[in-house]
Amino acid sequence: MSLNGKKPVAIIGGGLAGLTAAAQLRRHGAPFVLYEAGPKIAGLAMTFSDGDGFSYDFGAHFITNRLAAAIGIGSKCRTVRYYGETVFMDGRTYGYPFGLMRVPRFAFKGVVAKAAAFKKGNAPQSAAEWYRRNYGSAMADEVAIPLTEAWSGVAADKLSPAVGDSLPGSISRTIMLKLASRLTRRAVACGYSREMPETPNVWHVYPEGGLGLLCQRLASGLEEDIKLESPVEEILVEDGRVVAVRAKGFEQEVSAVVSTAPRHILAKLVKGTDALQPLSRFRYRPMVFVNMRFQGRGLLPDVVIWTPENKYPFFRLTETPLSMPWLAPEGKTLITVDIGCNVGDETWSMDEEQLGEFCLGHLEDMIPNARQKYLGCRVLRTPIAYPVFLNEYEADRQRFELSTGVEGLYSIGRNGEFSHIFMEDVYWRTMKRTRQLVASLDR
Amino acid sequence: MSAPSSHSKFMAVTFKVNEQAAPAPVVPQFVEEKASLSLESVGCCICETDDAEPLGVGEDFEYNTSPETFLAMRCRQCSLVYLNPRPSLADLDCIYPENYHAFQFSEEHYGLVYKVRRRLESRRALSWCKGLDEDARILDVGCGDGFHLSLLREFGRPGWRLEGVDNSQRAVEMAARSNLLVHHGSVEHLDLPLAAYDLAFLIQTIEHVGDPPGILKAVLKLLKPGGRVVIVTDNTDSLDFKMFKGRHWGGYHFPRHWNLFNPKTIKALAEKVGFEVESLKTVVSPVNWVYSIRNTLMDMGAPRWMTNRFSLESTVSLSAFTAFDMLHQLAGKGALMRAILKRPV
Repeated sequence: MSLNGKKPVAIIGGGLAGLTAAAQLRRHGAPFVLYEAGPKIAGLAMTFSDGDGFSYDFGAHFITNRLAAAIGIGSKCRTVRYYGETVFMDGRTYGYPFGLMRVPRFAFKGVVAKAAAFKKGNAPQSAAEWYRRNYGSAMADEVAIPLTEAWSGVAADKLSPAVGDSLPGSISRTIMLKLASRLTRRAVACGYSREMPETPNVWHVYPEGGLGLLCQRLASGLEEDIKLESPVEEILVEDGRVVAVRAKGFEQEVSAVVSTAPRHILAKLVKGTDALQPLSRFRYRPMVFVNMRFQGRGLLPDVVIWTPENKYPFFRLTETPLSMPWLAPEGKTLITVDIGCNVGDETWSMDEEQLGEFCLGHLEDMIPNARQKYLGCRVLRTPIAYPVFLNEYEADRQRFELSTGVEGLYSIGRNGEFSHIFMEDVYWRTMKRTRQLVASLDR
Repeated sequence: MSAPSSHSKFMAVTFKVNEQAAPAPVVPQFVEEKASLSLESVGCCICETDDAEPLGVGEDFEYNTSPETFLAMRCRQCSLVYLNPRPSLADLDCIYPENYHAFQFSEEHYGLVYKVRRRLESRRALSWCKGLDEDARILDVGCGDGFHLSLLREFGRPGWRLEGVDNSQRAVEMAARSNLLVHHGSVEHLDLPLAAYDLAFLIQTIEHVGDPPGILKAVLKLLKPGGRVVIVTDNTDSLDFKMFKGRHWGGYHFPRHWNLFNPKTIKALAEKVGFEVESLKTVVSPVNWVYSIRNTLMDMGAPRWMTNRFSLESTVSLSAFTAFDMLHQLAGKGALMRAILKRPV
């Protein structure tokens, strides 16, 4: 880092967002120091491998060929050929989203809701209302609301209608993209990029050796300015402007701070202002991912199975090798079971063996002889899997979406933005924010 | 670089799988082991910002020189389309293969197309030379194998002093075989006489260079006051671009076209450098149409007999799309653009 008397920008967090910001600051010749609390870069964008040939991600991550090209790792990525989602209810499967229309009551109530939407009315007040208006009451109550409640851990009438706004776009576009996917035998991205348009030319890819490659490429050449095992303890604000950060007891004067920390944690780090106090109420849903290994392949009828019925403790199952065969050895497969929970609760505290048993008991409905095929599991836990848009802080959420209210403090990335965005969104949005930051430094 | 280590990590894992999953060994379906390029990030050469949106994602459909995926970005401020990230200068030998068409556009390879193009291009080139003195000095920047220079030698005035510049050793050798005077290197770095040339050409060159303002500035200095430069380049304000810009547009020529212009951006570029725009027109060309279709077919895995109908060797499609592009030309939206810029007196 050559400072030339200039104060550096402090970047907090060495995941996709933090490293994207770092790489862009370097291009603009702006000095920075990146503080990563852990011993390695990449954060949630990391793949774990075991000695048996299985690879595990924190949930299925979606990298597009466009993101790979932007980062310059296209030659190290493989095309994902297929991706599909199915809903499992009453022992039957329905393709998502159109297969659900085969259910007469879903179709009928859906049409009624669409027709009613032409009448002007008040805007929906909660996620539950949003679903009923957009999907009709039957599909909302039986599918959308139970799924939302399972992943958020909150009743859908306490959630903001903004939850619905984050769902994929128009029907005609979805049909077009699904068709393109069939024709080209590529998993065309549909509902996995918000920031940039989805087209038949943008599809899922997967880097050789796992997700970590994205961050490794972004970090290459920046190593000197990345401090590992250096959690930032305080962000110091004076007169409404960031002036310094403290890490490992050492205070560093800074020109700006780019934080990728979850918002409630950011609120705790900032000293010298109470402008960020409202953020301390923001909640993230903890999640346990039970990666179950099985003999065989194609145990599930589709890559992703949504399970809205209350009898299941999980809301989603993913057999990633159907989409990305290289994640499991041939003749074997991996099913990731997503269970929403709270830190320290019964699910969170169960050990690997218990969780495996717990899931097996429920999977036998769907997979005959699941127990005989079972080869053990690996569990990943995260306290911050999804942002929860509670109505009680919706006004604050919208206000902080625009700015942190502290001069020189930027909150970016999936956690920092408190937004259910995907990897490519994180990249483009971070590029945009960093551009604004660079412009403000130049002034 | 960290990539090799992650690669070997994966290989190690697969190896273990091989042992376990016998008798059917796992063969990882890796992309073919071709050298990856060392890509570098750039901004808009006109606005000098990086405020741009992704527009097209594609591969080297034509020459398959690397397994890389490329991204065409469009500047939100001036609408310049540019490749980002793009290969570094060290990659040039890799992305311009031996059989690159600009190195060997010969009668033996291209037959009738060669003859027709020769006729058309000589007429075009001579029209740019109207009014030049008997002993005018002419420089073709990015002359390739010297195609245009040899046309001027054959059909132009005997007193003209013709010179070319090209970055590629191969191109220079080809041109030398035809006894043309071609300087090897880039026009910014060669020690050519200042204010000495009456006319310069950049025929399908400006889209290949890393620093268009830099190269034009250099050309400006080489021209006599009042001297002109003729630029011919792909036009992004055209129907073929609109239709194919998401991936298959022939004008992307991934990864060899680094900057792509429309009338607005070529004018902005000229003014940035200090040229006066004397004329700006679009020109008929079938090539981007033919290659856009070819790239689409290749990408869809169409059989070779079908893709072969769309190439620089296929007279039928070239003539059909010449006629088709003429219609667009009438509306001022031909597939290529031609700008004549003048060094102010």
